[in-house]
Amino acid sequence: MSASICDQVRAAALDPGTVSADWARRPEIAAHLRCCPSCQDWLDAFAAGERVWEAVLAAAFTERVVARTSGLAAVLGELPSLAEMDPGPGFTERVLLATSMKPAPQGWRARVADAWLALVRRPRFAWEAAYVATVCLVLVFGNPVGAIEWSAVNIGTVARERLAPPVQEFRADLESWRARLSAASAPPPSTSAARQVAAASPAVRIWEAALDWLRLTSSSVIDAIARAWDALAAWLGGPEGEPAPRSTEPPAGPARSHQ
Amino acid sequence: MDATDLTPLVERCRAGDAAAWEVFVRQLQGRLFALAYSYAGDREDARDLAQEIFVRLYEARHQWPTGDEFLPWLFRVARNRSVDYLRRRSVRRPAATADETEMAELPDPGPGAEARAIESDRRSLLHAALRGLSAISREIVVLRDVHGLPVQQVASILGVPLGTVKSRASRARVELAERVMALSRGRSEA
Repeated sequence: MSASICDQVRAAALDPGTVSADWARRPEIAAHLRCCPSCQDWLDAFAAGERVWEAVLAAAFTERVVARTSGLAAVLGELPSLAEMDPGPGFTERVLLATSMKPAPQGWRARVADAWLALVRRPRFAWEAAYVATVCLVLVFGNPVGAIEWSAVNIGTVARERLAPPVQEFRADLESWRARLSAASAPPPSTSAARQVAAASPAVRIWEAALDWLRLTSSSVIDAIARAWDALAAWLGGPEGEPAPRSTEPPAGPARSHQ
Repeated sequence: MDATDLTPLVERCRAGDAAAWEVFVRQLQGRLFALAYSYAGDREDARDLAQEIFVRLYEARHQWPTGDEFLPWLFRVARNRSVDYLRRRSVRRPAATADETEMAELPDPGPGAEARAIESDRRSLLHAALRGLSAISREIVVLRDVHGLPVQQVASILGVPLGTVKSRASRARVELAERVMALSRGRSEA
């Protein structure tokens, strides 16, 4: 028998369409199987494999059905038994000890203090703080070593440029406040006004006295601020009319050549 | 456990009664330890976790809700602590391997030891099957079927929609039953 007929027989056995058509009883197939022991053995093994596979599928199906019915009911019935477990000896004492040593925080200050202490007491806190500080330094100054020196030299220049206009405005405001206050406190009370104050109720007199005190105090405070601000402005502004140096670059190295 | 049973105890704990707190710990330690065990999967870790939960409860005792709101709140606190604990543990070291025989190793002298050993074995089987589920399915089964919380409370504790809890619960139960059967078949064959 040629190999091509054996192949055809086996292919027909593997084809699900022919298996159900009782193909093995067809005369030409039956004749081939009678005279070809190899195909007969192959067919027997194939049939045995099919039976095993069907049994496996049937068992899995049964298991799935059981799992969804009686097995599921059994498992669901057993699950509540897991709701309580014995934590073992000494657990209660451990919890009571841990909680008796932990009074409830009294307020936000205590909570912040606790959080800060917990942060600081972490073993790597020093490393983390150093790392964060280094990152900040690099982000702010770029090259920390050279740039710090440059910044120290030029910070006055930058501050002068940035702060000069607001200093002038604030100085002008202070002058106007001063003028207003002196105008308000300048006119002495007339005799009729003094008479009115004397005739007024004690509450009005207290109110007037408080206003006078407030005027005097604010005037002296504003004077103090103005003096301090003038000193700052004098320090920042330098001699009047002198333009501030414009260079904000890092200190130059050797002169650059165009070539 | 009913919320109404706990109400007087909760009130006394809120008022700072140390004796009431001790009673509270003794009454709830089994339940909270079981919940912690379902998350940690390891007895020692579960003890640590349950203790953390109790410490957290103690610190917040002045804010405990009362009445029917207490138990869901308690489970929410315990669940959040457990999730934090697992997150920390996953950073510290790989997740603990499931120790299926752990529950069967408890010393058990005295009469009825065989019956208790069988029960313990069955429990370890259930725990092993539970650990095979996905995290969300396991949480749903634990809260719904183990601790008996209503579906609405489970959804509220887990922060997922009600429909998700319902559909996941039915799928997770079937999956759990299949796992239990597979594990018991494997043990009987071994």
